[in-house]
Amino acid sequence: MLHTRVESGDTPVIYLEGEIDLDSVETFRWAVTDALRGATEAILDFSRVTFIDSSGTGLLVRFCLDYKAQGLQLRLRNIPPMVDDVFAMLKVRALVGDEAFLD
Amino acid sequence: MSAPATGNPATLQVMRYDARRGTLEVIVGDPAGLPRQILAQRAAEAMRARSFICHTTDDDALLGADEICFIPRADRCEIVSIHTNGWRRHHGDHRRSLVEILNDLAAAVARGTLSFLDDEELAAVSAEGREIFACTIEDTASLAGARAAVAQVLKNQHVSDDARRRLELCVSEATTNMLVHGGGGGTMRLRLVGALLRAIVADRGPGLSFINWTDEAGGAKQPSMGYGYKIILDNLERVHLHTGDEGTTLILDRTI
Repeated sequence: MLHTRVESGDTPVIYLEGEIDLDSVETFRWAVTDALRGATEAILDFSRVTFIDSSGTGLLVRFCLDYKAQGLQLRLRNIPPMVDDVFAMLKVRALVGDEAFLD
Repeated sequence: MSAPATGNPATLQVMRYDARRGTLEVIVGDPAGLPRQILAQRAAEAMRARSFICHTTDDDALLGADEICFIPRADRCEIVSIHTNGWRRHHGDHRRSLVEILNDLAAAVARGTLSFLDDEELAAVSAEGREIFACTIEDTASLAGARAAVAQVLKNQHVSDDARRRLELCVSEATTNMLVHGGGGGTMRLRLVGALLRAIVADRGPGLSFINWTDEAGGAKQPSMGYGYKIILDNLERVHLHTGDEGTTLILDRTI
């Protein structure tokens, strides 16, 4: 189960809480798509994410690359160790660039 | 064993050359049209050279594959090939190419991490040890339940947090692949085999299409197959794979 909350502003912050897997990728997709509507950048806060798999990671990478190609930016912060492990396994930093990570 | 589903962007074939008998056994895929004599010669060469050999070819008449790897083992040679059915690398796409994934699979076979099972081997490996948990995976909502079950079993076995998280992740990847590519559901069983925890994830789908880039998982394009297999192969000591037109079984082993 994934819960999302968006703190609006010039740079919206999307707070993610729970598990990002095949069952919740649509929630993740809509949260990011809605938050970036009309904005040029957004921040994804992972501090309360307890699980992510390749479905969630694949969607995240796709978002980062697609938005970057459109001149928009999606930045990531507060990555928990479990999520960071998965990102390391899948070389997410190399795929999306270090500049996408705020910490 | 029959061929995996056809009409996919890519299909996998696995054969086994037995050096003592001089025989070639089909493990996965359709052997029709494959030049068995040439394959056996190449396998024998790889075994003499004790070297993992990969060929890329567009000559279907010669090897019947776009990419083929010969992987010598102690007394046999595994022959793993991919047929990309006209698919070519999609430049600019972040997804790993089929050939890269094939090479990863072949390297995992060479390391001893991955083995392809025939029907007899599947029956034997599936029966080892004692069953401690079983459930059905019917939809995406079942995934969290499968992870929770693995977590509880591992907690009862006093497994470290790191090992537990990695096993939960691998089981989640295997069950996700089953939902996306395996006909929509199946079973997950946990067995204790000595010091090993063995997860057996089985579906009754049309057989592993290897990678189906055109599939849309949950209505959204997901590069989960290649990534999922990478996670599984990187975090487990041993993975066994059996696939055919009666379904796919993935067996995951990790010492706990």
